[in-house]
Amino acid sequence: MSPDLSSTALQFVFNCPLSAGMHARPASHFAKLANSLVSECTLTNLRNHREGNAKSVLSIISLDIREGDRCLVQISGADEQFGYTMIHDFAEQVLPSCDVPLAKSSPTKPGFLPRILQRAEAKCYSGSAASPGVGRGKVVFLNAVSLPQAAISHHRSDPQEERERLQRALRNVRENIREELARSGSEAGRDVLQAELALIDDVVFAQKLAEHISEEKSAAQSVLETGKFFADLLRHSGSEYIRERAADVEEISAQLLAETADGNLPQAATALQEPSVVVAETLAPQQFLALDRHFLKGVVLEYSGANSHALILARSYGVPAVVGIKHTKSILSSGQDVVLDANRGLLFAELAPDVDRFYAREERTRLRQKTILQASASTPAITRDGVRLEVGANASANDEVVLALENGADGIGLFRTEMLFMNGRPPSEEEQLAIYEQVVKSAHGKPVIIRTFDLGGDKAAPYLEPAAEENPFLGLRGVRLYAKHRDLLQVQLRAILRASAFGRIQIMIPMVSAREDVLAFKEHLKQAQEALRAENIAFSKDVPIGIMLEVPAAAFHLAPFGTEADFFSIGTNDLAQYFFAADRGNPNVSRLSNPSNPSFIRFLNHIIEEARASGKWVGVCGDMASHAKYVPLFLGLGLDEISLPIENIPKIKGIVRRLSASACRSLVDQIHSSHDASEVNDLLASAEQTCSSCPLVSEELMILDSDSSSKEEAMQEFIDVLYNSGRTADPQKLEDALWAREYVYSTGLGFGFATPHCKTDAINASSIVVLKLSEPIDWGSVDGVGVRMVIGIAMRATQNGDNHMQVFSVLARKLMIEDFRTRLLETPNSPELMQYLTQELKLTLT
Amino acid sequence: MRIIAVTACPTGIAHTYMAAARLEAVAKNFGHEIKVETQGAMGIENKLTDSDIRQAQVAIFAVDIEIEGRERFNGVTIIQVPLQEALKNPEGIFRKLQH
Repeated sequence: MSPDLSSTALQFVFNCPLSAGMHARPASHFAKLANSLVSECTLTNLRNHREGNAKSVLSIISLDIREGDRCLVQISGADEQFGYTMIHDFAEQVLPSCDVPLAKSSPTKPGFLPRILQRAEAKCYSGSAASPGVGRGKVVFLNAVSLPQAAISHHRSDPQEERERLQRALRNVRENIREELARSGSEAGRDVLQAELALIDDVVFAQKLAEHISEEKSAAQSVLETGKFFADLLRHSGSEYIRERAADVEEISAQLLAETADGNLPQAATALQEPSVVVAETLAPQQFLALDRHFLKGVVLEYSGANSHALILARSYGVPAVVGIKHTKSILSSGQDVVLDANRGLLFAELAPDVDRFYAREERTRLRQKTILQASASTPAITRDGVRLEVGANASANDEVVLALENGADGIGLFRTEMLFMNGRPPSEEEQLAIYEQVVKSAHGKPVIIRTFDLGGDKAAPYLEPAAEENPFLGLRGVRLYAKHRDLLQVQLRAILRASAFGRIQIMIPMVSAREDVLAFKEHLKQAQEALRAENIAFSKDVPIGIMLEVPAAAFHLAPFGTEADFFSIGTNDLAQYFFAADRGNPNVSRLSNPSNPSFIRFLNHIIEEARASGKWVGVCGDMASHAKYVPLFLGLGLDEISLPIENIPKIKGIVRRLSASACRSLVDQIHSSHDASEVNDLLASAEQTCSSCPLVSEELMILDSDSSSKEEAMQEFIDVLYNSGRTADPQKLEDALWAREYVYSTGLGFGFATPHCKTDAINASSIVVLKLSEPIDWGSVDGVGVRMVIGIAMRATQNGDNHMQVFSVLARKLMIEDFRTRLLETPNSPELMQYLTQELKLTLT
Repeated sequence: MRIIAVTACPTGIAHTYMAAARLEAVAKNFGHEIKVETQGAMGIENKLTDSDIRQAQVAIFAVDIEIEGRERFNGVTIIQVPLQEALKNPEGIFRKLQH
């Protein structure tokens, strides 16, 4: 059934660059391009010699194309030349960036069970955590969607009637999905539904259905055979991700089947009546979507890969899910109460007070943590000595902007627009306006720096007719393309200017190497402004214009830009590549392009001094900004802003708050006299200690009304307090270290005191935690007396030792003195206790 | 009585110093003179000199780990106890000395 390609077909071979293989997303990109052609287009996997129609997603993903497979593309027809260029460019330039990291199924590590749960005598089954969270509810069993094994004994009516029946079914199912799509509030939900729609409209799926119908089979029989054919094909793929898609085909086929039976087959919808944990062998995406999420507290699946659509949906809706618990029908019964811990991959098949209490306390901790994070996300990042560093986000779509703001971004430091230009045709003014307008509105008054399209180098759009260049990174890229593509720039500038009427927009020019670039750009801008004015279209009169500093020639001498530019942003990736004359993507030389090199840091220092001299704002938006280790450097250099990937923002803001800018400035002085990158890295690694001061004793580390009722609970609370205050990022490792010490012999020192302690690199800053217990608890103390106060010591393990050890030894000695202990027990509130400890341990208040 | 002592525990963060403080306090109650060397996370502190060792009638090792420089104590009467003993029943250790 492959199209007959004449020997004159244009063809080329490429290697699949995707670690997850050719999965649905790149395949649908590919099919979209192929479908825009009138030419026939086929794709052949040269490893297994499977050939398929490149216009069909289903067909492409059934070729089982894995990373490194050689693939042959053949195009034949009226627009083959255009098609060749477009698909060739896509395969070479866009495809490698389609590799989204897939979720991996991660079996829960043994030994991860907290001590309290280990002790609890509740029946517990373990699987793999697939979507985090904890839920409790009654067991509701759902049957997996499956196609009947046997052929359906529908009597066949008139072939024409069957054809119409099939069309009606396709229409109805398509309509149902569209309705669901309109209702769906989540991006992931819409993606999944879009994928199902694409399946219904898939040319190869339709072809197969048509073949069966024309063989005078009934509509139902045609659907059944087509569904089975593709589901089997996908199920035999070498990629787990693609095997998961078999379930989608089965679900769509089952729906079509129900429709072709004229509603005779009842839809197996289960309405949830109360908080429920749904248990099934597998779950199809629409089955998941049909569940009332108000009552859906968790999902347990016997079989499912981490990338099944049901699990993708569970993650996007925040529904806890565990997979891989087998024989659920025999270990559980319908209506039974269960607790699902999808953080650890556990299912408790009975309710035990210990387990309940553990999760209730864990939830309390989580809420505390959330409150603290939210409070800190929305406040600016200011160092201990009062210097502010703006922390912005890099983004390229509206949902990223929304997420960035939620994560505490002070603005969008870099909004990339190239991706809009990398489809088959350039985006229209209205399309761009819709995006930019949405983005500035989402930013709620915070600044958004939009970078005009930065094509060239490694990013090409077929319609730009890129000239063959020997050195594309040194050729026509960024601003250098604008003279040749004035129209594209005009359209983009008009869209950006129009969006500026709705919020704070700034424009950034990529790849500037000389003042002329900026002057020419401003001419373009003026033209766009005049045109809009003439058309009476609103836009903001003062949109700041900035320069992306990535060409050393421009970055070295900023004074000429002084009157022309309002701000500067350093693109460290390209700047380093051009500075070191070493391609970051070339493994032979990439190590040379190291931003920790002292000469590069001197260069940054020079740039920032130049920017200061001209009184302009200066930021960093390259990869360097996303590394926590460089934060002390940025503060020391005196940057105004850094812009980085969203997920790192809360952490980076936290680091800024711990540091002192003046200490960071001295660090930069030391860095300037370093000889190589490794010396610089060592200095940066020590900065967390030398430039930050996280006090040893702090009110946030004191809980004077602890309701812990066992040693295990008190230890957990000790760990939670450290976690909530950002002093450990690895509570599990901390717990192991504390218990390892506890197993040597009890830290209950008698007199109602216990001093659990450890020295570990899981601690960022040495800390003393105080828990005053409402009820004494057994600690296995030397004198057998119940513990009323826990003084926990968490010491940071470093190579250079810890200057807090002196304090710990004083504390240990003082605990042997009765007066000291009495004062600790009797001091009524944390401020007073704080003051007392500070004075007794001779701490300096910071 | 002139007594010398060494304390050392597994992590060297807390119990080394607690035991030292305990031994010092209880020795005073018994009317002894004592000097306690700690071998903890800060290394050796309050180090016992040769003359300290020569003048002492007895040495108490309240230790859970092998101590550094044990050879310094050759020829001295040594009472070695688990460190916890110095917290649990320090009086007991001193009473033992009087026999």
